[in-house]
Amino acid sequence: MKDFFNKEKYFFFMTPALVWQVGFFFLPLIFVIQLGFFNQFFHEFTFDYFKQVFRLTHFVVIFRSLKLASITATLSLLLGYPVAYFLALYVDRRYKSILLFLITLPFLTNLLVQIYAWYFILEKKGILNKFLSLFFSDLGNWLNTSFAMYIVMFHIYLPFMIMPLYSNLEKVNLKLIESSLDLGASYSQTLFRIVFPLSKEGIRTGFFLVYVTTFGEYVIPSLIGGQKHFYVGTLISEYFFIGRDWHVGAAFTCLSSAIFLVSICMLNYLLQKLIVSLQRI
Amino acid sequence: MIGVSRKSRTFFLTIVSCAYLFLYMPIVVLIFYSFNQGGFPDVWRGFSLHWYQDLLESVDIWRAFLNSVIVALTSSVLNIIMAVFFVHGSRKYKGDWSAIFYSNVIISDIVLAVGLLILFSAIAVPLGLTTIIAGHTLLGFGFTIPVIRGRYDELDDSLIEASLDLGASTQYTFLNVVVPFLYPAILSAFLLAIIVSFDDFLISFFCAGASVQTLSLYIFSMIRSGISPVVNALSTILLVMSLLMIFGMLMIQKNILRK
Repeated sequence: MKDFFNKEKYFFFMTPALVWQVGFFFLPLIFVIQLGFFNQFFHEFTFDYFKQVFRLTHFVVIFRSLKLASITATLSLLLGYPVAYFLALYVDRRYKSILLFLITLPFLTNLLVQIYAWYFILEKKGILNKFLSLFFSDLGNWLNTSFAMYIVMFHIYLPFMIMPLYSNLEKVNLKLIESSLDLGASYSQTLFRIVFPLSKEGIRTGFFLVYVTTFGEYVIPSLIGGQKHFYVGTLISEYFFIGRDWHVGAAFTCLSSAIFLVSICMLNYLLQKLIVSLQRI
Repeated sequence: MIGVSRKSRTFFLTIVSCAYLFLYMPIVVLIFYSFNQGGFPDVWRGFSLHWYQDLLESVDIWRAFLNSVIVALTSSVLNIIMAVFFVHGSRKYKGDWSAIFYSNVIISDIVLAVGLLILFSAIAVPLGLTTIIAGHTLLGFGFTIPVIRGRYDELDDSLIEASLDLGASTQYTFLNVVVPFLYPAILSAFLLAIIVSFDDFLISFFCAGASVQTLSLYIFSMIRSGISPVVNALSTILLVMSLLMIFGMLMIQKNILRK
């Protein structure tokens, strides 16, 4: 038995994955930082590129992305929570697996397929305008507006919120809810004081999963949002593919990631406060 | 039935059904137009499979599809082999070593994609299928290692002990006791890795270079040039593929639970 899990002998089992992780994950991140600070490969240290990035226009872009990410995460939490609650605690066992399957499908469907599907709804002659033309005339194109982008973001990332929330809420002991109601608490009191605090971890995981993945989103802003406004993802790819100014692009990537990390800490604190203050209702 | 008052039950159920409707409305419309005789802005002109026929005859799509399949299969196989070895090796170490790989799920894809592009150009690796495979293998770790580790944690040490006591070599024990036990998890992790690779856009976008196109990149360029029902047909087929794979994954998980 000892021989089977011999530490010295079996450490090499871990090495391929660790080497891969270091080589293609940590090393690239170091290279991004390096490119922002050095003229040559680890030679000629300079702040020039960061000075170029420290402009109001860049901060506006970062702020726009933060807004997009936080609004998407909040909206999907608001709609995702009832759905996850429904799946985890409410629905009959027989239908549970099929309903769960229906959430997993968009979660694991090609992003571009889903975005493409929205074209048929948001186009000038699309479904939405066909429906609205019953009431209004003179309708424009919904595509290339920020409204369209928010809707599509919300649609794509809703399953990302529901899955972690569901797996967290599923572990909630039903007897706790029952006894809370039996002992005279109202439904809203039970929700705010029992269910919310118990699902705190799920709320946090879901919120930040959506927040983090939406912040660097490239495809949706560039296909649905039009090219009017830059977002972090689109601006970075602009620097790398069209401007070909990799140093400034890398500096911008570093700056936006740093601001982003600060915003995560702040939101984490706010979320904690919110859940605690809801308990007092 | 629990935790929702009778008054608000209808409200609650309405919200949930709206969410489902919202999630599926675009997909239904997409499939609807793939079977439509006419082009997009038209109304229903009758059932037809001719977009699927066009799809079959399109050389570019099949080339992109083949690239995607090569990338997905290679990266998933590489990924699973390394993941199984990693989980096996980390079994007796204290702490959750798989936590290192959660960062692959959590990181903004664009940062990783930019980093890989810089890395590959710094060490002068030509961009192409190999670079995409390297990126996708990395991306998959965040999904596969937790799945396989979860299963390995359920393996009783006494099974391994028994095998060793009865005279099996460590290698024989690994291949005939550990791997068969992990098999369902390996299979479902493999399917997950394939799906992750097929779905990825940004890593491929940055690591593909000018010559290679995967399916995601192909759809991206098609969407940019306007709507074509051929893409609808392609999307429908991709949807059915994901559906089958998820179904397979769920069946495997159900079998684990039953045993």
